[in-house]
Amino acid sequence: MKHPARIAALAVALVVIVFGVVLALNVGSDPQEDAKQSNLVGKAAPSFDLPNLAGGRVTLADIAGKSAIVNFWNHWCIPCQQEAPALESFYAEHKDDPDFAMIGIVRDDTTGDVKAYVKKRGVGWTIALDPSSVAALDFGTRGQPETYAISPSGVVAAAKYGPMSTTELERFLAAARANA
Amino acid sequence: MIKRWGAWIALALVVVVALTVVLWPNGSQSAAARAHDLETQFKCPECEGLSVADSQAPTSRAIRADIKRRIKAGQSDGQIRQAYVDTYGESILLTPQDSGVSLLVWILPIVVLALGATGIVLVLRRNRDEPHLHATEADERLVEREHRDG
Repeated sequence: MKHPARIAALAVALVVIVFGVVLALNVGSDPQEDAKQSNLVGKAAPSFDLPNLAGGRVTLADIAGKSAIVNFWNHWCIPCQQEAPALESFYAEHKDDPDFAMIGIVRDDTTGDVKAYVKKRGVGWTIALDPSSVAALDFGTRGQPETYAISPSGVVAAAKYGPMSTTELERFLAAARANA
Repeated sequence: MIKRWGAWIALALVVVVALTVVLWPNGSQSAAARAHDLETQFKCPECEGLSVADSQAPTSRAIRADIKRRIKAGQSDGQIRQAYVDTYGESILLTPQDSGVSLLVWILPIVVLALGATGIVLVLRRNRDEPHLHATEADERLVEREHRDG
C-alpha cells in the first residue's frame, strides 16, 4: 500500500458515486409520488361493514358482482360540496344500470348533520357511516373527498384524492367494468 | 503488542456496548409508550411535515386510535408499520425503512465514515512512521563539528 490515503479517498469517491447512481435509478422524479396516488389500485378492495342511514348495514359483499363507485365525504367539507352536483348527475345517469352500485362513506361527521344534508340535497345512493374512520384508514384515505372504483370481482380499479367531475366518474366506472 | 491494541479494543468495546444499549428492543415498553413511538414514526397523511403524534387532523386522530386498537389486538410494531405501508405506501413513514434500497440510506454514511476514518488513521500512521526530513551529509558534518567543539 504505497498511497493509503489516496486509496481511501478513491474508495469514498467510489461509494459516493455508487450511492448517487443507485438513488438516480431507484428514486423517481418525485419522491412523494406515492403520496399522491392510492396504493390500493390493482389490489382487492378492503372489506367494510358499516351502519347505513336507514339503520341497516352496508358491506363490501353488497357490491360484489357490480361495478361500484365508493366516495368518501362529509357534509362540512367544501370540496365535497363542490363535487356533489357531479355525483348527483352521474348517479341519475346510472342508477338503473343493473351492474352499477354507488356508496357514499361518511367520515368525521355526525349522523344528524349527514341526515339533514342528504335530505336537503335528495341524495339517492347508499350512505354509510364510518364514525371511527376504520374504513377510511383501510382504504388509505388522506382526507375527503376521495373516490374509488371497484370492479365486480372486488378489485380497486381506480382512485382519486380530491373532487371528481362527471367525466372522471364515467372514466372510473369504465375502469371498474373493464376489470370485470 | 497488547499495549498497542489495548486502547483500540477498549474503544471498540465501548462502541459495541453503547450501540447495544441504544438499539436493543425494549420488551417492557408499555402499550401507551409503544403507541406514541409508532405515532411519531408515521407522517400525517393530510398535512405537510407533521407526524401523526403532532397533528390534530381527523386522519391523524383516526390513525392514533387505530394504532391503539392494533396494539390491543396483539399486533407487533413491525406488523402495524407494514399494514400502513401496504395501504399508504412508504411515504407514510417519516424515516426510511431499514430494508431494500432504503437500507442504503442507513449503511452508506457509516461506510463512508469508516473509510474516511481508516484513511485518516493510515495517513497519521505513515506520518509517524516515516520521518519527512533526511539529514544530508552537510547536516551530519555540522552536527559532528558541534559535538567536537563541545
